[in-house]
Amino acid sequence: MRIHSNMKMADLVEVNFEILEVIQRLQIPFGFKDKTIDKVCKENNIEVLFFLQLAQWFIERENFPQEELMQGHPNLLITYLHNTHKCYLEHQIPRIEQEIKNLEKETELPGESVQLMIKFFKEYINEFTDHLKDEEEITFPYIQALEKANRGELALSDFNKKYKNYSIDKYLANHSNLEEKIVDLQSILLKYMPPPVNNCKFTNLLLEIYRLGKDLKDHTLLEENVLIPKVRHMEIQLKK
Amino acid sequence: MIKVLIAEQSYLIRKGLTHVLNQFNEISQIEVLSSHMGLNEVVEHLSPDILIINSTILNENDKCSFSNKIKNDIKIIHLINTILPSESPNNQISIYDTKIKITDKLSPLIKDLSKELVDEEGSEELTQREQLILKHVALGLTNKEIASKLYISSHTVISHRKNITRKLKIKSVSGLTVYAILNGIIKMSDIS
Repeated sequence: MRIHSNMKMADLVEVNFEILEVIQRLQIPFGFKDKTIDKVCKENNIEVLFFLQLAQWFIERENFPQEELMQGHPNLLITYLHNTHKCYLEHQIPRIEQEIKNLEKETELPGESVQLMIKFFKEYINEFTDHLKDEEEITFPYIQALEKANRGELALSDFNKKYKNYSIDKYLANHSNLEEKIVDLQSILLKYMPPPVNNCKFTNLLLEIYRLGKDLKDHTLLEENVLIPKVRHMEIQLKK
Repeated sequence: MIKVLIAEQSYLIRKGLTHVLNQFNEISQIEVLSSHMGLNEVVEHLSPDILIINSTILNENDKCSFSNKIKNDIKIIHLINTILPSESPNNQISIYDTKIKITDKLSPLIKDLSKELVDEEGSEELTQREQLILKHVALGLTNKEIASKLYISSHTVISHRKNITRKLKIKSVSGLTVYAILNGIIKMSDIS
């Protein structure tokens, strides 16, 4: 189905509740009453088209609106990616960590295996935190400055001075693959761990990890297919 | 299983091509891209077995950096916006080709690829050699160090590691370490 801007925001969530994630990541407050998508977006300074494209993608996965999303303001994309990170780091990952710890108490897995998993996951959290820090402290401010320089709000000389040696390719070079270890974790838990007694807990843990893996895949897609090409385009424009 | 990436501007053609590709059971994953933007990143990240790419996209993409990186590993099929002569090679598909024609052109390639992959995927069990390599990886040795220790080339070590990762579906060193400990290849005390 085609989502349109006169649809009520609350009805949209009924169509596919995963859109809640889009709403959260764009920092749109709940309590929609009967407001339309158009009204809610305008109240929150969000380009309606950008929201519609993201929402449409959530219900029609096979059609990724690359060019349409690239039209959106870079700050919107940054807000979205930033809040996605924040949610992973503050919520999803600690929960998975806790569930791994619980395995020791609630299953008959040998303590050593659980310790191993905890150690593995701790390492992953550190990597994740570094990745996030890198984006928040270097890449995102760079993109925002680039956007300002393109609009003439930031003097070109200032921009060049600050980012003499930086370009989005630098970011790509350090872009660690956060999906990789999640796949490793899935394989270890699914195929190589001694089977636990409490199947329900274990299954839930696996489900959460698979969900995070799928989410990370979307996240990479947005970074690789929208953010990076957009920034490259902005870099070329500035040089003209 | 075979992974395919389609890079084509037209939504309708992407859909149609996906439909044709879905006939092949050997294909496990089809990803699509609508422009040259992000192509290099996606190719690197997905590492598809087949790339079906519109010739106009290929021209827009920075040809050199792209073709060098993927020349060896990926089969490229060119999607062409004009009618092709009937004796056109199998790696060229016209958007005007019939379904049967497209299927006929792709079939041999897909059959070949899946044969190769089946041979490789045949056994999930690690060979003794692979176990030995895994042990050293888990203990934290680099490819170079392993090579000199076992009197083999780094290239051989890398190829063993590729096979290990494919068989176990574990890629990171720390993931492989967990596997090695769980399976008694090394002891917990060996790494701390």
